[in-house]
Amino acid sequence: MTQQNDHQAGRRKFLIGMGSAGLAAMTVPILTSAARGAQKIWDHEHEVVIIGSGFAGLAAAIEAKRQGAKDVVVFEKMPVFGGNSAVNGGLYAAPKTPLQKKEGVKDSPEQMISDQMISGRGVADQELLLHVAKHAREALQLTIDAGAEYLPYLQQLGGHSVPRTYQTTVACGAGIVQPLVKESRKLGVQLINRSKFENLIFDDSGRVVGVAILQGYYFGHDQPGKLINVRAKRGVIIATGGFAQNIGLRQAQDPTLTAEVGCTNPKGATGEALLEMFQQGAVPVHLAYIQSGPWASPDEGGFGYVSNYSIYNFPHSAAINCRTGQRFMNEIADRKTRADAELACRDAEGKPLPPILITSYKHAKKHPNCKKVLRYGVGWKFESLKAIAKKFNIPLKALEKQVKQYNDYVRTGKDEQFGKIMEKAKGKYLEAPFTVVRLWPKVHYCQGGVKVNVQAEVINATTWKPIPGLLAAGEVTGGIHGVSRLGSCSIPECMVMGMTAARTIMKG
Amino acid sequence: MKTYVRYLLAGLVAVFVAGSSLAEDTLKQYDDIKGRTHHEDLYMEEQCDACHTSNEPNEFPPDNICLDCHDLDDLVIATAREGEDVWQNPHNNLHYGRDVPCMECHGEHTRREPMCADCHNFNYPKHEK
Repeated sequence: MTQQNDHQAGRRKFLIGMGSAGLAAMTVPILTSAARGAQKIWDHEHEVVIIGSGFAGLAAAIEAKRQGAKDVVVFEKMPVFGGNSAVNGGLYAAPKTPLQKKEGVKDSPEQMISDQMISGRGVADQELLLHVAKHAREALQLTIDAGAEYLPYLQQLGGHSVPRTYQTTVACGAGIVQPLVKESRKLGVQLINRSKFENLIFDDSGRVVGVAILQGYYFGHDQPGKLINVRAKRGVIIATGGFAQNIGLRQAQDPTLTAEVGCTNPKGATGEALLEMFQQGAVPVHLAYIQSGPWASPDEGGFGYVSNYSIYNFPHSAAINCRTGQRFMNEIADRKTRADAELACRDAEGKPLPPILITSYKHAKKHPNCKKVLRYGVGWKFESLKAIAKKFNIPLKALEKQVKQYNDYVRTGKDEQFGKIMEKAKGKYLEAPFTVVRLWPKVHYCQGGVKVNVQAEVINATTWKPIPGLLAAGEVTGGIHGVSRLGSCSIPECMVMGMTAARTIMKG
Repeated sequence: MKTYVRYLLAGLVAVFVAGSSLAEDTLKQYDDIKGRTHHEDLYMEEQCDACHTSNEPNEFPPDNICLDCHDLDDLVIATAREGEDVWQNPHNNLHYGRDVPCMECHGEHTRREPMCADCHNFNYPKHEK
């Protein structure tokens, strides 16, 4: 890793020095058209250059094509396309959708963002949230048109006041990314893997006119690739995701996020493009707000199977502290509230004691992941509370009392312990046989990033104006969600802001 | 029927190699480099450029160079899984479809775990580490 960083620094100095003879010797220029005043030698040129191939990058690519772009390229650092978008829950929140109509749910963009503002604890960006909420249904349609398939029912995720969340039938973001990849290719977008963004290239007026890319970059191997200059005639869209896998950077923001804390992201989520934008004057926002997923399991790697299992089951399940045999949180509170509550579950010596989630098997099995969870040994089926208590060393009497109490809340519709909304638990009593998974938060999402406006333009910290030719969308941008992002609100944000970036770039 | 034959062959191979603990290992030392026994001819004839862009390689070969000889459609069929496991086919999987470069799971000169192992504990008994 150190070597890569040294390498990057070396390249950057070289570029800033701009020895064009040296650069010419290093690369084989196929184009000599120089940017205004900058004397650049371009190896390639494209109309629209997009960095990153997740939801935001692919949405931008597709929309740019639909807006008439002839030549769109997407550079991806990793060997595979999709980034973190390919390995998440595939949950998509939108107001006023066909499924809400079908299920008789009253909702509006304003109601959705009011839930998001509460979870954002007062510092979310209302204007951006409203922009996303208003276009979320349109972007959902884009995914459906591309071939994404969704479960025929809505879910009510933590912190949402109504059911408004779609989920792909494969319970994964790949159920959207794969159709978007296919659609991009169909439209003639060039998708190029193993291509690491190194730095932005500006002309004398301060406009972004291209990017330097390491082509043939092998992540995790000792092969950094060849540096090429790529001209971006209309501009550059940065859609590189978060930095949850950059342990140094995340720990500098939040010292509790040590290497011992798991992470749901692929290893490429390390934030180099984010840092480059800061270096070029972008406004850093909310970098310390890094979200851990309260639905993750310590018994598997990454996002795994349990995450979606728990997300689906939280509304009609009880989360139990193994030490006390009692509930310790509202199972559908926002993510930060739950992650903090789980992290407080400790044994007598203060060591982590992952809590368990108890669900009636008959309810759990309605989600496709239930089978997987049991089959791969990351969740277990029990015939009685006694068996659960024995396996996890829980005080049985306290557990029995708690479950009885919880079932009363199911009956009355009122959770007197933690104020959980019991609407979705109606009639769903906790009854044997049970299924159980263990919970422990994993670093999941970076709320922080560069500041953008509703046109997806990156704002300069000195001039407070957009940096010409530079747009950003998705997790690499910051401040939209505030302290804690509600589940299923990232995919709509990525899709809408990716589309927005494309519209802006095609107008300009 | 085809599957049956494949299992039968695999079984025969297993019996054949039972005498040696390393026999299932296809990674073998050829002069100064390790390589797979099924590519032995290439090592005997020092044909590095069969895969690499030069015969004195200092970089990885192009992605998917393997597909010059191995047919992806055949591989997809050979590793197909059924029912709820349908997307666990490494050559056509849920997250990346058919787009995973071969070397992300297969090492010609080194051992490599299947990429899925980063998050899942799927069993790929025929994968050569």
